[in-house]
Amino acid sequence: MSSEAKPSLGSVLVIGGCGFLGHHVVRLLLRDYTCSVSVIDLRCTRNRRPDPDGVSYFEADITDLDRLEAIFSQVKPDVVIHTASPPAQGNDKVSHALFKKVNVDGTAAVIKACQKTGVKALVYTSSASVVSDNSSDLINADERWPTVRGKDQTEYYSETKAAAEELVLASNRAAEAPKLLTCAIRPSGIMGEGDTMVLYHLINVYRQGRDNVQVGNNDNLFDFTYVENVAHAHLLAARALLLTAASKTIPLDHERVDGEAFFITNDSPVYFWDFARAVWAAAGSPRGTEHVRVLPRSVGMVLGFLSECFFWAIGKPPTFNRQRIVYSCMTRYYDISKAKRRLGYKPLVPLDEGVRRAVKWTLEQQEKSKAQ
Amino acid sequence: MGLAQQAIYFLLHPNQLRAIIQWKVWHEPVHRRDPSKETPTEKSCFHYLNLTSRSFAAVIQELNPELLMPICLFYLVLRGLDTIEDDMTIDIKEKEPLLRGFHELMEKDGWTFNGNGPNEKDRDLLVHFDDVIAELKKVKKPYYEIIKDITIKMGNGMADYALNAEHNANGVNTIADYELYCHYVAGLVGEGLTRLFVASNLANPKLLDRMELTESMGQFLQKTNIIRDVHEDWQDGRRFWPKEIWSQYFDKWDDLFAPENREKALQCSSHMVLNALKHAEECLFYMAGIRDQSVFNFVAIPQSMAIATLELVFRNPAIFERNVKITKGDACQLMTESTQNLRVVCDVFRRYARRIHKKNDPRDPNYLAISAQCGKIEQFIESIFPTQDPKKIAADRRHPNDQPGMDTMDAIYLVMSCVAIMILVGVSMVGVAWLMGANMEKMVRGLDQALGGSVRSPAPIANVPGRDEL
Repeated sequence: MSSEAKPSLGSVLVIGGCGFLGHHVVRLLLRDYTCSVSVIDLRCTRNRRPDPDGVSYFEADITDLDRLEAIFSQVKPDVVIHTASPPAQGNDKVSHALFKKVNVDGTAAVIKACQKTGVKALVYTSSASVVSDNSSDLINADERWPTVRGKDQTEYYSETKAAAEELVLASNRAAEAPKLLTCAIRPSGIMGEGDTMVLYHLINVYRQGRDNVQVGNNDNLFDFTYVENVAHAHLLAARALLLTAASKTIPLDHERVDGEAFFITNDSPVYFWDFARAVWAAAGSPRGTEHVRVLPRSVGMVLGFLSECFFWAIGKPPTFNRQRIVYSCMTRYYDISKAKRRLGYKPLVPLDEGVRRAVKWTLEQQEKSKAQ
Repeated sequence: MGLAQQAIYFLLHPNQLRAIIQWKVWHEPVHRRDPSKETPTEKSCFHYLNLTSRSFAAVIQELNPELLMPICLFYLVLRGLDTIEDDMTIDIKEKEPLLRGFHELMEKDGWTFNGNGPNEKDRDLLVHFDDVIAELKKVKKPYYEIIKDITIKMGNGMADYALNAEHNANGVNTIADYELYCHYVAGLVGEGLTRLFVASNLANPKLLDRMELTESMGQFLQKTNIIRDVHEDWQDGRRFWPKEIWSQYFDKWDDLFAPENREKALQCSSHMVLNALKHAEECLFYMAGIRDQSVFNFVAIPQSMAIATLELVFRNPAIFERNVKITKGDACQLMTESTQNLRVVCDVFRRYARRIHKKNDPRDPNYLAISAQCGKIEQFIESIFPTQDPKKIAADRRHPNDQPGMDTMDAIYLVMSCVAIMILVGVSMVGVAWLMGANMEKMVRGLDQALGGSVRSPAPIANVPGRDEL
């Protein structure tokens, strides 16, 4: 792509730009767009671009509104991409407080800062889990599905993501700043270089030789999404919001991007255990499926319950529990027609290529940490 | 298979026998031709249809009367062309003008052709082609024009390939070549059929705006045949698998069949299956545009057979050793299922997509891509026949009490009502027994004695009517 053909996004501020998703957003901004890039993160040492790339880094806690406003006034962003979120791990009081503080209060502060400094477009990273109750199947779900809130939502992390998404979408063309346009991206199962969750756990399962058990019948489809595609969707959304901001009329309902949420996937749901096996094969597993024993879901649930009892007795958080069984037997995939139609979204990298890249990176990281 | 062998086979596979019986007994054609009203030339056409086609003869003869004759003749014309193209005893100098000019020959009254070699299995059709020509004259103009147009395109395509084959004995090279070949032998037929369906108002005219759907119908069938027949074609010295695919696994085509290369050959074949499976969603989409039951059956049966065949050949080493085909029982079951509606055909596609996914091997380079393609087929079916309704999900969440589910109280109620019903049944049985004259006192006494005896027995009564025990 020649530099003339690259679309312009003006001044872009990426919040969480040193994080897993955020640093890919920064990379794509530099690769595919004409713009000046700034980053806010708690610490700006990891995933930092080399100085010649011209990215400005600011260390800040996003719940600190004064600090945010000061940076916003200095950077004067046209576009804010808000990807910051703590890892969705932990189910205790401390992590719940952190989810609430960063996801809800932090996002509220980001919105305030946007409204006060004349930002045109805010793209928020939500999560596809906001419509999941963590036990029922989601079969080809699209944006018409209701979000699961309050006591129906068993994962507090998802509750806070949904609450923040609601704040972001409510601030679209709001009275406080009618010019601010917002939208939310709901990615499902992000994986890729920099991921320390999905692939890290799966590869550990293989290393520990636990790849010989399959829970459930493996007919359940699941959406995993390569991180670059998610980053790409954010930038398409930012560009659509800027175009809307520049036009005099409000777009028709079926074309609207502002005030809307979008599911983003790789547009290729795969059977849950097939994904795991593809990861193991990429990590060097020479095995097929002959050695695999199939454990019915019900048996898995009993074992999960026993494990929970055991860990409760010894007073530690369980490493294996019923929720893990539920997840591995759940159907959970999405229809992303809306993003295709309104954002012009299409995954840049197919799923198998994404898995290859992500596994290669994870193995390299493990080699490095061993060498140290 | 001998009769005894067959009997043992069906004894061990009762489902197969059941499917065959079900099809033979319960299949009721939407339309039946009426031979008593047919002219001798019509009868002759159906005779040659039955002679030349194994798979299409039955479904064609059950077609809507509006299209019965046009499609039968369309088939015979193309079969005639094919019989000339296939015959290696005809010199290319004679063959080329026959193929390119076939659309004119088929308008000449009384034209027949006896230049086929004696071993050409369908030579009789061309020897009596005057009967086909006589019937073609009676076909409605719009239908005839479609048949003629496709005959021109097909004849020229075959001539080009015949000339090309003279020069190039090495078979198909790129995937684009492969798909072009499939277009000539199957895509064009599909084009003609779609135009006939729409012209007779038996299919949605929108199919004409989305000709890629028609193309997929033909590609899906032809690619499946090419994968299945790989061994037979290899023996005949022909190769239709594109070099662009097999060269990723082998340097020489013949290596594909060496027993020591089986695993590699299987990987190569699953690459071919993946390439064919890409058409599945468009095939389902196409079938949604058919408005007439007999036409639906006509298009759906070959498609169901194709996905079942793909499942059969997928990771099946036998395809490199012999010709494989789906069992008679499976074929009958597929025919029963393909003569209902789109939903049932979608169930067939989903069932076979899942079977393919179950056979998938993580060591295969196309493992995840195949899994994703099976997922795509399932997702597409969900988009036509959704399982979940967001409105209902939202409503259920607003009124959680309406949700069918079982908490502890429900379980207790259930157990209590079971116990109550058992008591009720017990009591009424005793009551009925008493009404019918059972001697309750004797039973109570027996029970009492067993427990130690505190009930004083009344004075014995002589001549108690009824029976003593039950």
